[in-house]
Amino acid sequence: MILLEINNRVVEETLTVKIKNAQAKLKNESIDITVADFDGVLYHISNINGDKTKIRTSISLKFYKQLQEHGADELLKREYGPYLVAPEPGYNVSVLLDLENIPENWQEYVKKLGLLKRNCFASVFEKYFDFQERGDEGQKRAVIPYRDDETMYVEAKSDRVTVVFSTRFRDEDDVVIGKVFMQEFREGLRASHTAPPVLFSHREPPIELRDTNATVDNNVGYVTFVLFPRHTARNTRDNTINLIHMFRHYLHYHIKCSKAYIHSRMRAKTSDFLKVLNRARPENKSTDKKTISGRTFIRRD
Amino acid sequence: MSATLKPYLTAVRHTLTAAMCLENFCSQVVERHNKPEVEVRTSKELLLTPVVISRNEKEKVLIESSINSIRISIAVKQADEIEKILCKKFMRFMMMRAENFIVLRRKPIEGYDISFLITNFHTEQMYKHKLVDFVIHFMEEIDKEISEMKLAMNARARIVSEEFLKHF
Amino acid sequence: MTEQHRFGNNPITCHAWNADKTHVALSPNNNEVHIYQRNGADWKQVDTLNQHDLRVMGIDWAPKTNRIVTSSADRNAYVWSQDKDGKWKPTLVLLRINRAATCVKWSPEENKFAAGSGARLISICYFEKENDWWVSKHIKKPIRSTITCLDWHPNNCLLAAGSSDFKVRIFSSYIKDIEDVPKATQWGAKMPLGQLMTEFVNQNAPVGWVHDVSFSPDGNKICWVSHDSSINVADATKGNGVYRLRTEFLPFLSCTWVTNNSIVAAGHSCIPVLYTLDKDGQMNFLAKLDTSAKKESGGLSAMKMFHSLDKQARIEISDTNLDSIHQNQITCLRIYEGTKEKATKISSSGADGLLVIWNLNASSLSLENLKI
Repeated sequence: MILLEINNRVVEETLTVKIKNAQAKLKNESIDITVADFDGVLYHISNINGDKTKIRTSISLKFYKQLQEHGADELLKREYGPYLVAPEPGYNVSVLLDLENIPENWQEYVKKLGLLKRNCFASVFEKYFDFQERGDEGQKRAVIPYRDDETMYVEAKSDRVTVVFSTRFRDEDDVVIGKVFMQEFREGLRASHTAPPVLFSHREPPIELRDTNATVDNNVGYVTFVLFPRHTARNTRDNTINLIHMFRHYLHYHIKCSKAYIHSRMRAKTSDFLKVLNRARPENKSTDKKTISGRTFIRRD
Repeated sequence: MSATLKPYLTAVRHTLTAAMCLENFCSQVVERHNKPEVEVRTSKELLLTPVVISRNEKEKVLIESSINSIRISIAVKQADEIEKILCKKFMRFMMMRAENFIVLRRKPIEGYDISFLITNFHTEQMYKHKLVDFVIHFMEEIDKEISEMKLAMNARARIVSEEFLKHF
Repeated sequence: MTEQHRFGNNPITCHAWNADKTHVALSPNNNEVHIYQRNGADWKQVDTLNQHDLRVMGIDWAPKTNRIVTSSADRNAYVWSQDKDGKWKPTLVLLRINRAATCVKWSPEENKFAAGSGARLISICYFEKENDWWVSKHIKKPIRSTITCLDWHPNNCLLAAGSSDFKVRIFSSYIKDIEDVPKATQWGAKMPLGQLMTEFVNQNAPVGWVHDVSFSPDGNKICWVSHDSSINVADATKGNGVYRLRTEFLPFLSCTWVTNNSIVAAGHSCIPVLYTLDKDGQMNFLAKLDTSAKKESGGLSAMKMFHSLDKQARIEISDTNLDSIHQNQITCLRIYEGTKEKATKISSSGADGLLVIWNLNASSLSLENLKI
C-alpha cells in the first residue's frame, strides 16, 4: 500500500453493511458513530430524529468556510444533489441515506459518500483549473488553511496552475528526512514525463508567496506543484485532484514509515551488538541438565 | 574495508589491549567505596595519559585509562545531515538500553557520539580480549549500518516519489 | 606436566597453599575464602571462611604455625586457626585503618604480619600475649598512595612495599617487644620501626603503579614489576643500582624469585615468564612457561552452531581463544614445590577461575644448557 486511499473506507463499509442489512430485510439498528480522517476532518454517521431508516452522514472541516468561497457548495450540489440535507449542527455538510428508498446504483452512491472529503477539496481545484482553461489570470490566489499551521495556496495562470503546500515537520529529524524525500520528488520527472514539476523550499516560502504572511520557520517546508494544461484538462483533472490533495499525507506517511523502518533496524542491530558482547562472557562449563524423570542429560557439544 | 580503516582499527585494537589492563582498586578517598577512577578522578596518580586515535578530522577514538577502569569514546563518521541524525538516533537508542549493554556509558563524553566505560568488574566477568573484539566489531559495524540505513532511506524516497508522480 | 584446576567461572582473587600443599585457600572474587582439600585430581571444599563483608583482597597461609591471615576491602583482617575438629576459627585484627586492606603477608618467622592498605599506610601486627590481642603498629611516611604489594626480607624485619605512587620502599618493621635487635643487612644497619631504609624512584623513565615486589632468597636483591610492563631488580650489594628491563609483554601483576638469580613474573599477558640475572646484574628473558599452541576448537556440531548463533550471533564456529592456558589476567603466583632458593613448581591463579601448576624443572622447559 504505497499510495494512500482517498476515500474513507470506514464510512463506506458502515453504509454498505446498513444497506445490505436493509435489503436482507433485517431489523434496522440505530447508529451513531464518529470517524476521523486526515486534516482533522470528522465524519458523523447517525439517525435523524431517532428514525432508524434515515441515516445522515455529516462532515466537518475546519476550513470549510474557505472552501465555500471557492464553490464547495455548488460542487457538492452537483455531486450529491437531492441527497443533501440541512447541515447537522456542528458539521458543515450532511447527506442523507434513506434505507426505505435505497437508490438503484447504491454502490456508486456509497462510494461517493466515502469521497465526501475529497469532493469538498475538489471545488477549489476545479475552480482554478477552470480559470486556467479560460486564461483568466487576474484571480486572487486561494488560501486554504487545511491544517492548524499548514496552508495550501492555489493560483492560476493562463498556461499553468501552481499549488503550494506549506507543511510543518514535527522536529529537526523530520525536516532532514523530508528533505531526502523532496530531493527525490524534485528529480521525479526522470521517472515520468507526464508528471508535474515539483519544487521544494525549506524554511523560506517560494518567491510568489514572499509578499504574503506565509510562515518562515525552521520546521516548515514549501512544496510547489506546477500543473500544466495536460493535468488540468477535463479528462485528467479528477485524477490530478485525487493525487494532489493527498500529497501532504503521502509525504508524512512515508516519513513515518522510514522512521519506523530505521527503528526496527536499530533494534535488530542493537540486539546483534548485545550478542557480540555476550561472546566475551565465559560459557557455563557445566552443561549437564536433568530430564523430567531425573536422569542427567549431558549435552554433547 | 577501505585502505585507511584497517590501520585505524589495528591501532585502536593495540591501544585497547594495552590500556585495558585493569585491576581491582578500592577508593583511597571514600571509605568502603570502589568507584571507576577514570570517572571520579580523585587521585591523579591513578590516571593514565589519555590517547586519541584519529582516522580523520571527524572519526576518532579517545581512550582514557586508569587503574581500575577505562573509558572509550568514539566519534562516528557523519558525512551529511542524514548520517548525522541517523547516528544521533542510533546512539540515543543504544544508550537508552545501557543497562543491558553493561559496558555502555549513559552519556557520551563531549565531542564524541558514544562512550563505553569498562571497569575491572567487567574484565573479571568477561574475557578482556573479547571485550576488545567487541569494541572493534562495534566500530566496524556502526559505519556500515549507518550508511546502509541511509541507502535504504534514499531508496524508499525514490520509490515513493516515482510511484506518486507516475500516476499523473 | 602442567596441571590445570578449575574452580568455577569466577575469578580467583588470590590463593595460598598450606605447608604440605594438600590444601589451598582461595577467594572466588567475593567476601569468602574457600578452603579446598586435594584428592588426586579432584578438590573437595572443606571449609568456607566468611567473616568479611566485602571482597577479600589478600590471603596468606603460615606454613609452620598453620594459620591463615586474610585481608579485605572491609578494612579488616582476620587470623584463622584450626580447632580440634579442623574447623577454622577467626580472630579479628584491628588494623586501625579506614580504607581497604589490600594485601597481607606473614613474616618469615610467623610471629607478625604486615597488611598494606588504601589508607596510605602499612599495619604491622603482632600478638600480645598479656592482652590476648593482636596489636597493630603503623608505618605511614612517606607513603603517598595505596599500598599494592608487600614482601618480607628473610631477616623477619625488613619489609618491601610497592605502591600506586610508583615507588618501591623498604621499611624496617622491627618490633622491640617481641624480637631481638636485628643484625645489620646490606640495606642498612639501624632499624627502628618505620625507618625508611631505601626508596626506589623511577626517575626519567616512564613510570607505573607497582604491582608486586619480591625479595631474593638471600635478601640482598629486590625485584618488582610495574604497570609500564617493566621488571626491575635492585641489588643492595651493588649500591642499590636498579636494573630495569622493559618487556614486550603487557604489565605483570605478580612476580617471585625461583632461584637466587631467576624470577617468574605473570600478569595481563596471561602467561608466566621466566627471567634470569647474569653475573653483571643484567636481566634477560629466558622462557615463557606456557608453550601452548593455538587451540583448535572441537569438531562441528549442529547444536553448538545454533547455540552460538542464537546467543552470540556468531556465524563461524571458531571461538577466539588466547594462545595460552589462562584466558584472563594472572593475578597471583605462589611457589608450589621448593622454596625461593630452588623452586621446582609454581602455581598461578587468575581472573578466568583457573589454578595452574607449572613445572620449573629444567627438563620440562628443556633448559639444561641454559643453567638457571
